[in-house]
Amino acid sequence: MPQQRVVLKNCGVIDPRRIETYLERDGFKALAKVRREMTREQVTDEIKASGLRGRGGAGFPTGIKWEGARQAPGEEKYVICNADEGEVGTFKDRYILERDPFTLIEAMAIAGYAIGAKQGYIYLRAEYHHLFDLLQNAINQAKKSGYLDGFRIEIREGAGAYICGEESALMDSIEGKRGESRYRPPFPTTSGLWGKPTIINNVETLMNIPQIILNGAGWFSQMGTERSKGTKVFSISGDVENPGVYELVLGSPLRELVEDLASAKDIKLIQIGGATGRILPYEKIDTPLAFETVLGAGAVTVYNRSRDVIDIVYRTMEFLAEESCGKCTPCRQGTEVMVEILEKFHRGEGREQDIRNLEALSQVMMLTSLCGLGQAAPNAVMDTLQYFKDAYKKRVVV
Amino acid sequence: MENKVNLTLNGRAVSARQGMTILEVARENGIDIPTLCYLEDFSPMGACRLCVVEVEGSRTLVGSCHTPVTEGMVVHTHSPKVLAARKILVELLLASHPDSCLVCDKANICELRRIAADLEVGLPRFHARKHYYPVEDENPHIIRDMSKCILCRRCVIACKSAGNGSMFSVAYRGFESKVVFGCDQLVDEAAVCPDFDGCIALCPSGALRKPVKIGEERAEKALIIKG
Repeated sequence: MPQQRVVLKNCGVIDPRRIETYLERDGFKALAKVRREMTREQVTDEIKASGLRGRGGAGFPTGIKWEGARQAPGEEKYVICNADEGEVGTFKDRYILERDPFTLIEAMAIAGYAIGAKQGYIYLRAEYHHLFDLLQNAINQAKKSGYLDGFRIEIREGAGAYICGEESALMDSIEGKRGESRYRPPFPTTSGLWGKPTIINNVETLMNIPQIILNGAGWFSQMGTERSKGTKVFSISGDVENPGVYELVLGSPLRELVEDLASAKDIKLIQIGGATGRILPYEKIDTPLAFETVLGAGAVTVYNRSRDVIDIVYRTMEFLAEESCGKCTPCRQGTEVMVEILEKFHRGEGREQDIRNLEALSQVMMLTSLCGLGQAAPNAVMDTLQYFKDAYKKRVVV
Repeated sequence: MENKVNLTLNGRAVSARQGMTILEVARENGIDIPTLCYLEDFSPMGACRLCVVEVEGSRTLVGSCHTPVTEGMVVHTHSPKVLAARKILVELLLASHPDSCLVCDKANICELRRIAADLEVGLPRFHARKHYYPVEDENPHIIRDMSKCILCRRCVIACKSAGNGSMFSVAYRGFESKVVFGCDQLVDEAAVCPDFDGCIALCPSGALRKPVKIGEERAEKALIIKG
C-alpha cells in the first residue's frame, strides 16, 4: 500500500502562520457544515460510523468517547487536545503542529460543538514551548475570523513529566495539581477536568475529524483493516537511513515502513510504541501495523545487529522508573525492582531465578497497576523474554 | 427496589445498593479484602492496589476500594490469580522496607506485617534499594521515620481533610516519591498540629509514631501473627 496523506494533507502545503492559506484548502468548511446542517447527535454518529480510534496509543473508539461526553449530564464540558507527545521516539504530533495548526483548531471546535463544550485546552508538552507562539497565533487568527464564536481555546504547558501524557494525570496537571493518574471509573467522559464531562483526544486523532465530516464516514472507513480504519502517522528513528514522519494506511506491513521507506538494514529488532511499546524481532517484519497487532502511538525505533538486547531493555526500564508517578505500588516498586534485576543482567551477573522473577513481576504490574504506564511498563521485558531469551540466558551466572 | 444491584460474589448471589464499591459489598458480606491505603469516610485513593479483585470480563484486576458494583458483575476476591498478585505486591513493599521489625515500635501492631502474615509472605523474592532518611524525633508529639514509609498516603489524606492546612504532601517521583513535611523539611520542635495523633493512628507501618515516655503503657492491641 502506498503512502497516503490524509492527516498530513496540509503539511508543507499551507503556511502555518496564515489562515488564508488554510481556507484555500477547504479550511473551516467542516466546522461550518456541522454548525449549519448537523445536529450534535449526527456529528457523534458520523464519527462513530467512521471507525476512527484514538491515535495516542490506546485506540479507544473516538465516536463512543464523544457520544459519552455528549450524553453526560452537565452544563460545563471540556475538550482537551493531548499534545504532550511524550512517548519515546514519537515526533509526529510536533511535525503536525509545526505545519498545520489550523486543522487541529477546527477539529477542536467541531468537538466542542458535538459534546456541547465552550472551552478547549491544548496541553502542550514543555519541550514544545517553541510551538506556543505558532499555536497561539493560529488560535488568534481563527478567533478574529469568527470561527471560534462560542468556543475558547487555551494552551496549557506541561512541565516535563512523561506521566502527564496519560489522560488523568494530564487533567490533574491542567488543574494545577501534581500530575498523577486517577482510577477509573469514573471515566473522563462523565467526570474529567474539574469533575466535568471531558473528552481528551490526541493531536493526530483530531486531525482526522474535519475530513471525516466533509467526505463522510464511508470514505474514511474504506481505508484500513476491519478494526483499524484510516491512516496512521509514524515517526521512525534509530538505525535507519531515512528517519522521519510517514503516513501509511492502517494495516500496511511493518516492512514497508522500515525497509522500503526508512531504508533500514541489518535489523535485529524493532520497538513499536516507544518505551511502553512492543518489541518485535526481525522475523516478524511482515506484521501489519494495526490496532489488532501492534501500533501504539506510532513510534517505531529500529535497532540493528550491533545493538545489545539487554542494554535496550535496561535503558527502557530506567526511563520508566524515572517517569513513574509513584502513586501505585506495582509501578513505583516494580519498575525499581526491574531496573535492579536488569542491571544485574547488564553486568552479566543475572541468575536463573531473576528470569522467573521478571516474568512473575511483569504479570502483576500488568494486572494491578493504576494506569497505562505501569500496565505497559513490562512490555519490553516480556517481549524480549519471549523472542530473545538467549540474551538473558547468556548473562546468567552459573 | 430500583436502586438495588445484583452481583455474584465468590460464587454467591448478593445484592447491594447502587453506588457501593466492591470492597464495601464484600465487607458487608463478611469477606475480608486486605487494604493499606483505604480509609473509611474518605474518598479512595487506589494507590496500594492490595484490594485488587478479579472481575470477569475485565482485562486487568480492578481495585475494589474504588470500583462501584454494577448489575450482573461476577467478582472473585480470593482467586489464585488475585492471591498471587497480592502476594507480590506485599513483597514489593517489603523489598524496600527496612529489616528492623524486631526493634520497631510498631512491630506488633504493624498492618503491613499482619497482611504479609495473612498472605503467607516470607522473605521477599525481590530486591530493591532501601530508603535512608533521618529519623525526625525532635517534636514532642510525633516521630517520623520515613525509611519505613510505604507511601499509602493515609496521613496525607487525613492532613488534607483536617482543614488546618496540609502539613504533609507527596513530593518527588517514582521510587523517590516521599511524603514530605512542608518543602521537604524535617518535622522539627516547632511544628505544631492540633491533631498529630490523628495521622499517627492511621499510619499502617512504623513511619509515624508517638514518642513514648518510659513507663507509659502502650494503648494499642498487639497483633497475633498466625503460624
